[in-house]
Amino acid sequence: MKLLDYMEAKRLLERYGISSIESAYVSSAKDAVSFSKGRAIAMKVLSDKQLHKSKAGLVRLNLSAPGEIESAYAALSRKGQALRPFKIIAQRMAERGDEIIVGARTDPQFGKVVLIGLGGIYVEIFRDFALRVAPLSAVDAEEMLAQLKSERIVTHGGRHRKQILSLLLGVARLMKENDSISELDLNPVIVTERGYSVVDIRVLGKV
Amino acid sequence: MGARLDLKPMLKPRSVAIVGASRDPDKVGHVILQNYLNAGFPGRLYPVNKTADKILGLKAYASVLDIKERLDLVVIAVPAPAVPAVMEECGKAGVKAAVVVSGGFAEVGNADLQAQLVSIADRYGIATLGPNCLGVMDPRSRVDTLFLPTYKLSKPQIGGVSFMAQSGAVGSTVLDLISGEGFGLSKFISYGNAAQVDEVDILDYLADDPETNVIVMYIEGIKRGREFIAAAKRAGAIKPVIVLKAGKTAAGVKAAHSHTAALAGDYEVQESIFRQAGFIIADDLSDLLYYAKIFEAEPEPKGPRVAIVTNGGGAGVLTTDALGASGILSMAEFTRQTSEALRKAMPPLVNIANPLDLAGDAGEERYDKALAALESDANVDMIIVIMLFQTPGADSASAAKLIAYKDRSEKPMIVISIGAGYTEMHKRMMESAGLPVYDSPADAAAALAALYRYSLFRKRRSQPSR
Repeated sequence: MKLLDYMEAKRLLERYGISSIESAYVSSAKDAVSFSKGRAIAMKVLSDKQLHKSKAGLVRLNLSAPGEIESAYAALSRKGQALRPFKIIAQRMAERGDEIIVGARTDPQFGKVVLIGLGGIYVEIFRDFALRVAPLSAVDAEEMLAQLKSERIVTHGGRHRKQILSLLLGVARLMKENDSISELDLNPVIVTERGYSVVDIRVLGKV
Repeated sequence: MGARLDLKPMLKPRSVAIVGASRDPDKVGHVILQNYLNAGFPGRLYPVNKTADKILGLKAYASVLDIKERLDLVVIAVPAPAVPAVMEECGKAGVKAAVVVSGGFAEVGNADLQAQLVSIADRYGIATLGPNCLGVMDPRSRVDTLFLPTYKLSKPQIGGVSFMAQSGAVGSTVLDLISGEGFGLSKFISYGNAAQVDEVDILDYLADDPETNVIVMYIEGIKRGREFIAAAKRAGAIKPVIVLKAGKTAAGVKAAHSHTAALAGDYEVQESIFRQAGFIIADDLSDLLYYAKIFEAEPEPKGPRVAIVTNGGGAGVLTTDALGASGILSMAEFTRQTSEALRKAMPPLVNIANPLDLAGDAGEERYDKALAALESDANVDMIIVIMLFQTPGADSASAAKLIAYKDRSEKPMIVISIGAGYTEMHKRMMESAGLPVYDSPADAAAALAALYRYSLFRKRRSQPSR
């Protein structure tokens, strides 16, 4: 199983109407500074050899001053040397909000399974999630939300219910139509007053 | 697996042969034949035994090939190594269905012997249940392949609940328990190793079976995933299916690459399929019975609002708490009309509120008036009657009054009665009249919540999605 290239995964999601946070690969500190345009950004080292970025110190958050960005870039590319081949990705910093998870996997017996739940770093502690087997009907998606204790957090008090439902249905469709995709994690998806924002994407495929 | 297997010859046979029938009362084949005779099976019955001429008064045959008619069902109770040869003969004789009760196949590592059995069954198109199973019971057609002595196991009355179980021990335990409940049985199917006929075939059959109102299933594993999903969705849309799945704590997905894979283990995926199909998920064997009896007896509720009528204040409060804990049911607010009617009908010591506490001296008359008012109240969707028989007022006449209401009520109505001997007697009386009785507020609330949840599922599925 192979991790799909981040930008490729991002484009794949866009084809299903799922937008994610503005991102670009950067190959120099200067690149990163010009991506930032004065706004806060995050930078991450991406490598097949390291699946848990935040645990390995491969993520730097909230960088906006050019000096900060330059030194973070230098530090990350040093760490990356041990994980070659690697890339550094710059992303616009997400607003603060509630973290949720949307994901999917392939069950050998039952096929593609879609998940939504309370996300972030506590996802395996609270285990508040709902699952369904794809294809997903609109009623299935509704019932998934209704099953969550954190329904009001996930839908932002009901205000983003429609967007979250279409995110869920989009993921189900993506899984159903792309047999080579075996696992997908959108974690976290950050829900704020303005809607949802997919901050990290991991797509595992057979190719 | 090809065409759908027809289970009708297995459950509604006109002719049955029992291979391994014996004169020795300790042999399984003897018990099965005896049970068929006890049940009064109206079709033709043929004991098959290589040496005996007559068993239990019936002429015995050396082989199914010697029987002159085409058999619907053959029950096979001979040692495992002899089973393939018997199946081969069944094939040649044109037998339609077989129940292999013999153990000694895949469950003890003899996968090859089991594969041989399946290949013969498939080649001749014999719908084959088992091996290593208790088989089937259908009190309407008086079919009973269970090899458990009658004195050890009470058998239920005829009804609309069908029960399917992989495990024979769980199956017979539940069967015994059902006989102690007020509801009756439609089909009992214990399918053992599920070598050929499996949960998909059985679910499909029961979904279409007009004698089955409620399906209760105990499963350990699911063999054909995609087909199971289709069968589950179909069955759940037609009638209530109550499921107890064993093996919840089995190790999750090994070496998960993603958070999703770490969360969505085998049980979680199966549970999601049950939910998607509208199944009622039971956590324990006792839940199976609590849910089965309410679904068998009660109509769909129109809403979540519950009225409680009680002759004990404490039990009323406990039940109110249990309804709150269900997360889905609510306490009804009586209409003004109801409140006024109750005020007029009740003595001053009765506080007109929900729960309606009729007081310890309440008998037939007070229950009668209370139920009359609640029955016509548009704000009341379901009724819980608490009748504590330790009080001075409650007696057989009060219980009879509840039964009378049950018969004409269009709203789901259940009873909570907690107690020993005298209570047990009245519980029996009410349950055998089709009125579900619970002995704990929590169980009663869980049962009503499941009934309401399933009604919501049905409603959602019948409406075009938003």
